[in-house]
Amino acid sequence: MRYAIEVDHVTRVFGGKGDKVHAKALDDISLQVDEGELFGLLGPNGAGKTTLIKILATLLLPSEGSVRVLGHDVVKEYNKIRARINMVSGGEISGYGLLTVRENLWMFSQFYGIPPKVARQRMDDLLERFGLLDKADAKVRTISTGQKQKMNVIRGFVTDPDLIYLDEPTLGLDVNASLAIRSFLRKWVKDTPGKTMLLTTHYMVEADELCDRVAIIDQGRILACDSPSNLKRMLKRATTFDIETTAFPGLDSMPSMDGLQGYNSKSVGDRALTRFVVNDEAVISEIISHISSKGGRIIALGKSEATLEDVFIHLVGRGLE
Amino acid sequence: MDWLLNLRAVKGRAYPRAVGGLREPSWMFFDTLLPLLGIAAFVFYYQALGAPEVYTGYVIIGGAMTAYWLNVLWSMATQFYWEKETGNLELYMMAPMSKMSVLAGMALGGMILTSVRAVSTIVLGVIIFQVEMDISSPGLLAAVFITTLIALYGLGMLFSSLYMLWGRGAWHMSNLMQEPIYLVSGFYFPVREIGFYFALGAAIIPITLGLDAMRQLLFGNETQGLLPVTTELALLLVSAVAFIVAAHFALKKMEYLGRKEGRLTMRWQ
Amino acid sequence: MRDALRRDLRTIRWSAWLGWQMESNWTNPLLFLVYSIVKPVFGTFILVFMFVIILGDVATDPVLFSYMYVGNAFYMFVAQVMFGVAYVVQEDRERFKTLKQVYIAPISFFLYVVGRALSKMAVTALAVVITLVFGVMALDVAVDLGQTAWLMFGIGLFIGLACICTIGVALAGVTFLTARHSSGINEGIAGLFYLFCGVVYPITVLPQWAQNIGLAIPITYWLELMRRSLVPSMDFSEMSGLGEYSDLSILLFLTLSSMAFLILSIGIFKYADHLARKKGKLDMNSTY
Repeated sequence: MRYAIEVDHVTRVFGGKGDKVHAKALDDISLQVDEGELFGLLGPNGAGKTTLIKILATLLLPSEGSVRVLGHDVVKEYNKIRARINMVSGGEISGYGLLTVRENLWMFSQFYGIPPKVARQRMDDLLERFGLLDKADAKVRTISTGQKQKMNVIRGFVTDPDLIYLDEPTLGLDVNASLAIRSFLRKWVKDTPGKTMLLTTHYMVEADELCDRVAIIDQGRILACDSPSNLKRMLKRATTFDIETTAFPGLDSMPSMDGLQGYNSKSVGDRALTRFVVNDEAVISEIISHISSKGGRIIALGKSEATLEDVFIHLVGRGLE
Repeated sequence: MDWLLNLRAVKGRAYPRAVGGLREPSWMFFDTLLPLLGIAAFVFYYQALGAPEVYTGYVIIGGAMTAYWLNVLWSMATQFYWEKETGNLELYMMAPMSKMSVLAGMALGGMILTSVRAVSTIVLGVIIFQVEMDISSPGLLAAVFITTLIALYGLGMLFSSLYMLWGRGAWHMSNLMQEPIYLVSGFYFPVREIGFYFALGAAIIPITLGLDAMRQLLFGNETQGLLPVTTELALLLVSAVAFIVAAHFALKKMEYLGRKEGRLTMRWQ
Repeated sequence: MRDALRRDLRTIRWSAWLGWQMESNWTNPLLFLVYSIVKPVFGTFILVFMFVIILGDVATDPVLFSYMYVGNAFYMFVAQVMFGVAYVVQEDRERFKTLKQVYIAPISFFLYVVGRALSKMAVTALAVVITLVFGVMALDVAVDLGQTAWLMFGIGLFIGLACICTIGVALAGVTFLTARHSSGINEGIAGLFYLFCGVVYPITVLPQWAQNIGLAIPITYWLELMRRSLVPSMDFSEMSGLGEYSDLSILLFLTLSSMAFLILSIGIFKYADHLARKKGKLDMNSTY
């Protein structure tokens, strides 16, 4: 099996002047992505996902370590990589507002030397698949955010890359637009064997649903890397409980308890929904009495299936959002 | 080098410049009528001073060339910086074409767009102020004009490369250069008036020699040129090549630095 | 009422502070100083050069030279502020993408732009002073502060700057609706005033219809008043086309035309503001 991406002990620091290091975005990470794989990078904001993508996209050099993309070194052989990759970032609108959707796509296709006829054909095909054909001749500045993001995704695929990086491609989109993009991604990987996709997201469901393998990244380090089902199997000994309570002070600062691996709270109006990952169910009574002592009242309590979010809580000790 | 890829990239980038710029109707007001007001003011200033009529012609030609100088400063030099802010630069950088093609495309599109403004300035200026020009050597005039544009936009490509990693400093640098170049390049008077050696120094900006040569060709003996027209044309050719080669190396260096320091994608500097 | 006034003052203060930060924090203070001075001073040099090329020496016609020099120095306020505020809209809209947020904040956007213009004005004031000092010391411009009618100068300066500010705001409103062109607004609108308002040449040089336009614009009276106040030893009455009017009359014309422009500016701004919302242009991206 050939690797589409090989990251070997990579560190990236962003420095100030002189020897001062301001931030370590990546800290000695290694991973391999197989050709034809849909690989996910899962982590909270600031985990280092975008930094890694930028290195893989030849936009940033690693401070230490080596990176090979499609068999080529990102530092020295970046010219050989660029023709075969593309990148789509969520929440970013590339191109020019005064041009139409079709003109913007055409412009970017020309930067990859795609013959105009082929580019036109691909554009029409993709515009149709995304339901954007009727907006093809609208100026970009007049279309909606979801439509712009669809155009952005089309831009990434119009060059028919062997490897594509999708950095939070559904960020801020409504359910329908997200679904359209996800279903396209799934189909693309299925229909084009040998093409590789690296997806970063902080939407657990997206990673769970789409990815062959997922690496969980936090504070510049990879904490685990496996298929979603294997990752969830890590929690074999652990159990997940959802407890709905009235809001109470100290919701976010549970004391450490034997058997409690992690938790994640969300407030919904005057109620709180907290997910606890425990490896000893006996700790639940201790959790309940803590909630009561703080003035919280239990409304509902239930055991649930493990998700990637639980894996994250298990590994990091806190929730993703 | 993949020539076909790069030619397509040039065309791809020139298109939004040439077409997008003309698509927004406000350009007609801002880019043709308003600049003419400033030019007219200089014409009236000369009239108030009792200057010979040929000076009106100098101002009209200078004013037309101003359009190119402003385009180079504001839409070439600062463009990569602006592209960075709008999120396009990283997409340009990770695309396989030579980044010189993007610059060349911007230059070509800019030249086409700006020519509309420059031509309208000349036409309106000639009609309103009754300027007489003598086009007895059209071939040489065209050669001087085209070479001037290539050299000037070559300089713009060099600036663009150098400014790529700068933040707002790039914008301010362009702003800073605008007026001094109007003065030393002789936009509103024959450049020789500022002194021979001083003007020769100012010839580093291609528009200095280009303007001087065009004035010599259009207004004949009345204009005391800096150097003979053919010498100026030769110097312009040299500077065109020099700026484009320098831009190529500067771009490579800046791209490397940008990747190393992570500044290709850093915004709001 | 008092709360509203306090909020408006706070808006102006904070936006002026923001403007100052954005003007100056990109470099060190010394470079910023050089930068703030070089641009306008070179603009003046061009005119001085043109003068010398045609007339041989600045002393050949000292009245015309002083007329041009002082007019041009004060015109810097017009050019810089006009350009500055239009750029506020473009920069906030397309670069920082903060226009929407500021726009919907419970403050007057009009005053926000005024605040940003004030910081521009402060920086320009320095360049104006330096240009005038240079003119007096090196080029014999006959500024005589001992003879200056300071009250007249102060009132005139204030009304003129306020007027420039409000025209700037109207221009900011127009910028809501227009794309980012190379630099058209900067040289364009400023060029309009440069042409018609007797900045570097008396309006009598212009055809009659153009003189009439000049006489309807407050900048014409403002520059005349500034010249009369700072250069009392010279008689511009023969050339300026305004010689028949007393200083007080000029001040009155300035006040009246400024008020008309204020109303016009507010109207333009409000209409442009309405159109921008109607056409959805507040968050337009017009790069190309």
